[in-house]
Amino acid sequence: MAIESDVLVIGGGLAGLSAAIAAAREGAHVRLVSYKQSTLKQASGLVDVLGYVDGEPVADPFERMADLPDDHPYRIVGESGVREALALFDEVTDYRGGHTDRNALVPTHGGTVKPTARYPASAAPGLASDDRDALLVGFETLVDFDAPLAADHIEAAGVPFAADGATVRFPGDLRADAKVTRYAHLLDEDRAVETDGGRRLPAREALAERVRPHLDGHERVGFPAVLGDDDPAGVRAALSKGLGADVFEVPMGPPSLPGLRLADRLYEALDEAGASVETGVPVVDYEGEERVERVLVDRKGAEVPYAADQYVLATGGLVGKGVESDREGVREPVFDCRVPQPADRYDWFEDAVFGDHAFARFGVDPDGELRPTDERGDPEFENVRAAGSVLGGHDFPAEKSGAGVSLATGRAAGVLATEEL
Amino acid sequence: MASTPHVAVVGGGSTGAGIARDLAMRGLDVTLVEQGNLTHGTTGRMHGLLHSGGRYAVSDQASAEECIEENRVLRDVAAHCVEETGGLFVKRPEDSEEYFREKLRGCEACGIPAEVLSGREARQREPYLAADVEKAIAVPDGAVDPFRLVVANAASARQHGARIETHSKVTDLLVEGGEVVGVAVEHGAKSGERVHGVQSGREEIRADHVVNATGAWAGRVAEMAGLDVAVRPSKGVMTIMNVRQVDTVVNRCRPKGDADIVVPHETTAILGTTDEEVADPEDYPEEQWEVDLVIDELSELIPILAEARTIRSFWGVRPLYEPPDVGSEDPTDITRDYFLLDHDDRDGVPGLTSIVGGKFTTYRMMAEEIADHLCARFGVDADCRTADVPLPGSEDVDRLRDYMDEFGLRSPIGRRSVERLGSRADQVLRTDDPNPVLCDCEGVTRAEVRDAMDDVGTDLNAVRIRTRASMGNCQGGFCCHRLAAELHPDHGEATVRDSWDDLLQERWKGQRHALWGQQLSQAMLNYALHATTQNRDRDPAAGGPSPDYEAFDDGRRATGETRPDAAGDADGD
Amino acid sequence: MSDEESNDTTEPLAQDGADDPDVETDGGAVDPGDGVGGDDAGFAPEEPTAGEDFEPVQVFPDDETMDLRPGADDCYKCSTCDVNCPVAEVDDDFPGPKFQGPEQWRLKQSDEEYTVDESITSCSNCMRCDDACPSGVPLSQMHNEARGEYVDEEMSLLSAKYWRNRILANYRISASIASLAPGLANAAMNFGPARWVVEKTLGVTSEREFPAFAEQTFREWWTARGGAAASRENAREARERRGEPIDADKRVAYFHGCYANYNTPEVAKALVRVYEHFGYELVVPEQRCSGTPMFANGMLSDARRDAEVNVSSLADLVDRGYDAVCSCTSCSMAIRQEYPELFSFEGTGEVAGSTFEALEYLRIHEDLRGDLADASVEGFDDLAYHAPCHARNQGLSRQAVELFRELDGVTVEDVGDSCSGISGTYGWKEEKYGVSMEIGEEMFEHMESAAGETGLTECPTCSMQMEHGTGYEIRHPLEVVEEALVGDRAGA
Repeated sequence: MAIESDVLVIGGGLAGLSAAIAAAREGAHVRLVSYKQSTLKQASGLVDVLGYVDGEPVADPFERMADLPDDHPYRIVGESGVREALALFDEVTDYRGGHTDRNALVPTHGGTVKPTARYPASAAPGLASDDRDALLVGFETLVDFDAPLAADHIEAAGVPFAADGATVRFPGDLRADAKVTRYAHLLDEDRAVETDGGRRLPAREALAERVRPHLDGHERVGFPAVLGDDDPAGVRAALSKGLGADVFEVPMGPPSLPGLRLADRLYEALDEAGASVETGVPVVDYEGEERVERVLVDRKGAEVPYAADQYVLATGGLVGKGVESDREGVREPVFDCRVPQPADRYDWFEDAVFGDHAFARFGVDPDGELRPTDERGDPEFENVRAAGSVLGGHDFPAEKSGAGVSLATGRAAGVLATEEL
Repeated sequence: MASTPHVAVVGGGSTGAGIARDLAMRGLDVTLVEQGNLTHGTTGRMHGLLHSGGRYAVSDQASAEECIEENRVLRDVAAHCVEETGGLFVKRPEDSEEYFREKLRGCEACGIPAEVLSGREARQREPYLAADVEKAIAVPDGAVDPFRLVVANAASARQHGARIETHSKVTDLLVEGGEVVGVAVEHGAKSGERVHGVQSGREEIRADHVVNATGAWAGRVAEMAGLDVAVRPSKGVMTIMNVRQVDTVVNRCRPKGDADIVVPHETTAILGTTDEEVADPEDYPEEQWEVDLVIDELSELIPILAEARTIRSFWGVRPLYEPPDVGSEDPTDITRDYFLLDHDDRDGVPGLTSIVGGKFTTYRMMAEEIADHLCARFGVDADCRTADVPLPGSEDVDRLRDYMDEFGLRSPIGRRSVERLGSRADQVLRTDDPNPVLCDCEGVTRAEVRDAMDDVGTDLNAVRIRTRASMGNCQGGFCCHRLAAELHPDHGEATVRDSWDDLLQERWKGQRHALWGQQLSQAMLNYALHATTQNRDRDPAAGGPSPDYEAFDDGRRATGETRPDAAGDADGD
Repeated sequence: MSDEESNDTTEPLAQDGADDPDVETDGGAVDPGDGVGGDDAGFAPEEPTAGEDFEPVQVFPDDETMDLRPGADDCYKCSTCDVNCPVAEVDDDFPGPKFQGPEQWRLKQSDEEYTVDESITSCSNCMRCDDACPSGVPLSQMHNEARGEYVDEEMSLLSAKYWRNRILANYRISASIASLAPGLANAAMNFGPARWVVEKTLGVTSEREFPAFAEQTFREWWTARGGAAASRENAREARERRGEPIDADKRVAYFHGCYANYNTPEVAKALVRVYEHFGYELVVPEQRCSGTPMFANGMLSDARRDAEVNVSSLADLVDRGYDAVCSCTSCSMAIRQEYPELFSFEGTGEVAGSTFEALEYLRIHEDLRGDLADASVEGFDDLAYHAPCHARNQGLSRQAVELFRELDGVTVEDVGDSCSGISGTYGWKEEKYGVSMEIGEEMFEHMESAAGETGLTECPTCSMQMEHGTGYEIRHPLEVVEEALVGDRAGA
């Protein structure tokens, strides 16, 4: 016996989720297995589609897709594939940016702006093309965001508004190494916390009170993205009211609450679509020649067979461990699909920190149906498609294309899989 | 000559800083100039071994005796820079029994305490040693932090009135009437306001005597006065592991060879090394085979190394020197001894002394000899005190244990901080402000980073070597921006960005040699964070055309809404 | 309760399993391990086993501590573990799993000057960090080792807290005594003034009600029912009914744990009936506590003592072709993950690889999903399901919800992926009670907003917390399966 389904999606990140949701909506019985939690939780929560081509900022990503190299994943799914994936994403989330083809420039915790196509509602009032003056607020103990520096930096980036920064002590006297979830939890719960002069106020009010002296007429106020986990809208509304200004979040590095919220939302959508999910179990092996007949999932030392008609490989790239390496070379560990790579390890990188690194493009080499190919260019297996960062041929950090590639190839792989059923 | 002689020391490595301290303590006026950061040269590129002398006990007993003597001195005066790890010379089945016995006899002859351990006893001490290690000799090797040691020497020199100038490159030796009378330096500073000590520009520093303590660069400096000093630079690789697989220095007990030592250093273990002569101390190939060699060879001693994560590799250049009449073919045959070249006696050019060769462990002894030599020349009657007076940070180190719980830091972060700061821990860590950890990997807090910045200004690499911030397993992926932010608002945004970029590039440089497995995953994650989220690679603020803000989404909906709704509707999260 | 009761040599029910004439165990004699000094392939050198004469105080002799520093090699600092930590979210005195695990280990050296930070005792061992880590860092193992080291090096053996933890960790011993006179125990243990005294002297919160003890333990029922012989008979009949070979190799050893034995025998009985319905012959081997509460309290020598019995008892059966199943997800977690990480008794790995959670096993070997889709149940309220953290780590967090999706007559609603907050003995500690309830808040809210007023979970202590926070009655998924598939329950 094996645990059976029509489509087995391996990997629980943005690509796997898109594939599973798309396939489940087509009526297939879908099971998603993921080894560990998705690296989505490390991401800023922004959905980049295409921010730069040849180093030039891109205002309209759809206009520039045709300029990408032939082996770029976007060339396989086409502009329409990207649009359909975004439409699906817009339908199951409450992200903003779908009202236009244009990218938005979002200020992030790095202090500059970056082009992105979809952004959470919490980041919407912070866009850099909005000409309202902004106050950025940081917390003494939250070391990943220095608001006064970010304000100076963002002005140096030529934004059409004035930015100022202030650093305040977060109410409640947290320890210096409190986790971001601790800040979010305090604001979610809005319980009374200790504030100036030994008084106790609800957390949201106490925070607004600390920021107020720095307000100085600014029409919008940006905080590091820790404004709640369960009730972010409520937290922002309370702060907006307390400050008399629009409140927005500045996306941060890992661990990222907007990333967490997005992952939660997409898993809900997966549940609504009727798919099954199993996390904490890695796929370690497979059986089959031309077709994959079944895969073996390691459950704490016991290998359990899972069988499906179609498989989607969405295990991520080097970060998600869908692509592995050692001193000898680079591999795709689940199905051992070919990963094109320079033979010499010292050709995997450039000398400049932001050079055109070969390693950034490591991944499997798909055919026109997203099936990983062997040396001859033939599919490794009839019924395995790959999606997301496990695909080679794109440098997502340089292009700012990570989420877009995952959504578009994920959805396409999910739909193609169901067409075979 | 002025009443107090003024000596210009060129080179801010262990030798130069040691000389500056010794001369300043004897009351001379001293100016030290260094082209980069302190330890920029060979000192900052060593494996951190505090020799017991065991490595030289067969081949070079004079050096071995110096080592054990200095080993004892440094444990005392530089306690906060030294970790008393102990060392082992381990023998595998294929290693010569005769050599093992010779090593033991050599240690005894040189006065190096040595004890023979069975393979089992050695593995009890170091569980990861290979199962077929037959036996070992235990010696008092130690680990030393060269950065901390040199910084402490420079600080002590400064306390005694010396002037320390980093990022100041000697462009010429001033020669008048056949005598060296000073140095011309170019003070480096980048555009804007990045100043290290002195405003940028050229300066002539006149001195009664110039000491050329530039190690592998000594030939070039001497050449500025038309003198020939035939330094034979030899490179060696050091590969840094992510964790300490051993807590004892492990040497392979065989005659000199490549890849035969592992030194536990702070949170890491450093594998070494190779020995290849190079033409240019600043420009030589850093090769893959060297990294592979140390990992493969040393895995025979410590098998876990084969699969363990390495975080970077770096190369150092030994400033080897041999008198012109020796003519060794192989750099491994060149003596590790040091030479004091008085160019008045040697070449008839007064005012300049070069010190070449030697090794880190005996830096203080070399400094003492050159200071004695100069004092004799100037007729100054002052004794050397560097063997008796503890370095700043190493006074009363025994009292440190009591501080541990006082700084609101968690163990072992507090313990690490106190070890790095030594007796300065109290003054640095006692703060009323929140003191969050900025570098999680190494447990470095804001107070410690700010203290380093007070000392060195905007150079984040100088901050790094003082604190170890960004030297852990993420190699700066999660802390470079945090460290840069600490420079603000004392320094402007453009300066901060410059310093930040320099640090990112420097961190990248060494990681390139460790790009496989976990470290390649780490590098990709760092790249994603820095380029994707922080947009460090395409920052509009960093020159280049600013994006046309008008052409991008401003949040207004196509429906003609004037403002995005700030809040009040669910986020869908 | 006095201290010698923690010393199992005088333990009243040490003869567990001896009343199973049909299980030929070796009487628990164990080959005292292999004494491997250092395994070069893995990063954790295994410890020689304690063998017969364990010392109750000294957990690790100095030269035998595990060096987990190399485990830090896998960490790339993403902090996913930190955002999954339920304690760090409500208590900033707790620095989170990344610090407690890879960072602390990496910064630590082997000399005794390096002490483990006290905050390790605030970790509840929910193990969500293990599930979170995208890089395979052995977080909970690092926490378990560090906690053991802390208790060993830093905690006074004279402190009330130590003995309180020790008593809580050794729940099975208390339970075995209480169940000798369950009625009396139930009354006495929740007698107000006595509870106040216990809180003041031992630091066991008086906010909670001690769970009620059953009048008849599961093992008493099992023996009375005829033990393994009766089970073999029932299974054969079922196989015949199902058209399977009469001699099919369907043999399972049931590790019931303490709670199902002393407190909720109905869950254990449900497992027996369901398995027999599918044609499995059951044995109920000699067993002690799985060790879960002991790991969480850093009482590794207590855990070792019980684990050794469990492993040797199960290893004999696994050798003979049995698989082991658990109805408690913490028990299966301990046997599958913690035993191989912390111990090296002979057979530890084999037992771990042959142990399953009860429904998981049936999903693998039977068409459980199909059978449930064709079935219906009556008499169940809508159920608010909470996935225990330890179920999540075994990839089972969605199992119950997805299995019962197509079952007629009951609606199961997932109340989200938060931690219940009790984490075994954690929430019983007077100083942790507040944190425990704050962690549980999210789950309580979701339960309140769910349609039904009955809870569903696999984990005994989660069920205590669910009941404590909402007043709902709490059921076990096996009870639902039993209701759906084993129509005739008169066979008991």
